[in-house]
Amino acid sequence: MENFTALFGAQADPPPPPTALSFGPGKPPPPPPPPPGGGPGTAAPPTTATAPPGADKSAAGCGPFYLMRELPGSTELTGSTNLITHYNLEQAYNKFCGKKVKEKLSNFLPDLPGMIDLPGSHDNSSLRSLIEKPPILGGSFNPITGTMLSGFRLHTGPLPEQCRLMHIQPPKKNKHKHKQSRTQDPVPPETPSDSDHKKKKKKKEEDPERKRKKKEKKKKKSRHSPDHPGMGSSQASSSSSLR
Amino acid sequence: MAEKFDHLEEHLEKFVENIRQLGIIVSDFQPSSQTGLNQKLNFIVTGLQDIDKCRQQLHDITVPLEVFEYIDQGRNPQLYTKECLERALAKNEQVKGKIDTMKKFKSLLIQELSKVFPEDMAKYRSIRGEDHPPS
Repeated sequence: MENFTALFGAQADPPPPPTALSFGPGKPPPPPPPPPGGGPGTAAPPTTATAPPGADKSAAGCGPFYLMRELPGSTELTGSTNLITHYNLEQAYNKFCGKKVKEKLSNFLPDLPGMIDLPGSHDNSSLRSLIEKPPILGGSFNPITGTMLSGFRLHTGPLPEQCRLMHIQPPKKNKHKHKQSRTQDPVPPETPSDSDHKKKKKKKEEDPERKRKKKEKKKKKSRHSPDHPGMGSSQASSSSSLR
Repeated sequence: MAEKFDHLEEHLEKFVENIRQLGIIVSDFQPSSQTGLNQKLNFIVTGLQDIDKCRQQLHDITVPLEVFEYIDQGRNPQLYTKECLERALAKNEQVKGKIDTMKKFKSLLIQELSKVFPEDMAKYRSIRGEDHPPS
């Protein structure tokens, strides 16, 4: 096997390694011209004097290793560090990537009127068109004076349905549905105490008696009330339940 | 920084509300609502003036064009932020993997070269300031 120094160009008397490691980026010198006799051992060692003018001078000062480059500084920010933690974006990451972000624009701007979930190209309201074809601006916004306001006199009456774009709202989830689903959910098993059980039993026993008494009272009231002589018992019961 | 955005947000909300009210007036127009309509029109002009004033404070803010694409498609722009963060993390992990692999390769190469060319590698280490061969 060839000598390592021979591979990278040996120096007859390599200078001592420099104390300061200042190896600038430089190209290696071109390979030495082939000797007339041939053979690797007879190759003339490249020295600083033979180095071409374009070659890096600092490379000559690092012994046989003229291909050496300056190592990147340890303080340099690279992909080996977690850049999200480095730039304090953990909170943002957890906020957006921790939970599911809703897909629609109306979830981001819930108070904006109109159907905003439709693509902007449908009604020519895209932001891109605003950039591609910017509106011609007159410089400043001036208030509309009396004569100019005469152009805004409108006809009385409602707008036709197809023009009422502002009234169309994206469908929102009903809270009632949510409540219903909650009630349908299986109730976690409870371990009622004996006293609770007895109370329930008592209530069940008392219920038919109470109902009878209430019905009798209502009948009496309906008979004696002058305002509603023809009021049925069913209606009365419903009104009482409302109270 | 946040005050600027709050200011703009406030003006935009007022402007949107004025537009909404204008829409209600126009949707069922009555002769008596002409003065209200005129008033609303001028409110919109002042609203536009207020928004235009905010432009001076926000001239250094840049918005990625991709965000506009999300909005134009009726999608939540927060999804763009989410995807950006996910992409950044994935790329970060990829680069870290490459760097770690290259470090391993370097240490292995130095180890193997030290076996074959001990003198030269000793010189190399002294130049680099590494006393001990990396394990």
